[in-house]
Amino acid sequence: MANDQPSTRPETRHQLQMARSMCWHCQSEMSGEYFCERCVKVQPVSKDTDYFTCLGFPRRLTLDPKKLEAKFYELSRAFHPDFYQAKSPTEQTISLGNAAVLNTAYRTLRDPIQRAEYLLALEAGSVKEIRTSPPADLFEEILELQDTLEQYRASDRESDQGRRLRASLQTEQQTLERRREEMESQLRRLFTDWDQLQDRGEATSQTRAERDRILKQMRDLLSHRTYINNIVNDLAATIG
Amino acid sequence: MAYSDKVVDHFNNPRNMGSFKKDEEGVGTGMVGAPECGDVMKLQIKVQEDTIVDAKFKTFGCGSAIASSSLATEWLKGKTIEEAQKIKNTDIVQELNLPPVKIHCSVLAEDAIKAALTDYQKKTDARPVDTK
Repeated sequence: MANDQPSTRPETRHQLQMARSMCWHCQSEMSGEYFCERCVKVQPVSKDTDYFTCLGFPRRLTLDPKKLEAKFYELSRAFHPDFYQAKSPTEQTISLGNAAVLNTAYRTLRDPIQRAEYLLALEAGSVKEIRTSPPADLFEEILELQDTLEQYRASDRESDQGRRLRASLQTEQQTLERRREEMESQLRRLFTDWDQLQDRGEATSQTRAERDRILKQMRDLLSHRTYINNIVNDLAATIG
Repeated sequence: MAYSDKVVDHFNNPRNMGSFKKDEEGVGTGMVGAPECGDVMKLQIKVQEDTIVDAKFKTFGCGSAIASSSLATEWLKGKTIEEAQKIKNTDIVQELNLPPVKIHCSVLAEDAIKAALTDYQKKTDARPVDTK
């Protein structure tokens, strides 16, 4: 067979790249994704592999949760350390490492918000100045609400003042929850925009600008959502 | 990981909590947030003749964020603008003994100081110094 022995030794600077495309066991060129097609040994998921690639999904933001789960179960069975008890220590270590990566990958991609945060982290490097100015109005609002919450906590809840504070906090909570929902539907629209852009796969200056716009708006919405989420949770915990 | 005694102390007895009126003469306001954890910090300074005579903060966040901003206001008082510029987040980390996962809280405090100083400078630049 032609691929038994590589004819020349790879040069040092190519070694890392080579190591990934070569089976650690039989040194044949890797054609399978997670297992060597030739010697059927499990292959370590590279540290550079992103979670989308790890689970075999494109970098899209709307994923079918059923398909994602099915893939996760399939790979979990393939990598689960229990099935490697009788194998060599190297294979045991690889299976353990892969299972851990797989779990984190699934947990991250399963949640639409975490998935978007992760995608942003992957793509952010290529976008200039993705962090935008802080939402000062929102901050003022949050700090004021915190003051009211503080007053409510210190008040006698059965008194007139306590009841009044509670009522106003409840109204605030509803308003904020509506705002969060609105943000989430805006986010979903951006997710669709992103996916459509990915599907087109062009790289013109126009699509690049569009790409930057989507990522920036997504970054903004996600951070605003975190602030609102925190205060809503705080409200819910206090006034239940 | 437990909080250090100093963090607990600042958390239980925060120094200089509160706020000044934003448009008050000599007041600089810094408002910063950490999108990753959703913490929000407001730090204000009151300046007279290039010296920070008073400082206040309001923070909505974890114990370390509260302690970092509380400590920052303590340090700011009595410092000149120039001295205040030199406060580094690493000083806060050292003083409060913050663990690695809480270093971003001290960064937030440094950002808040910088933002307050910038705001003060912007205000005084825009308004020529009144004759006293």
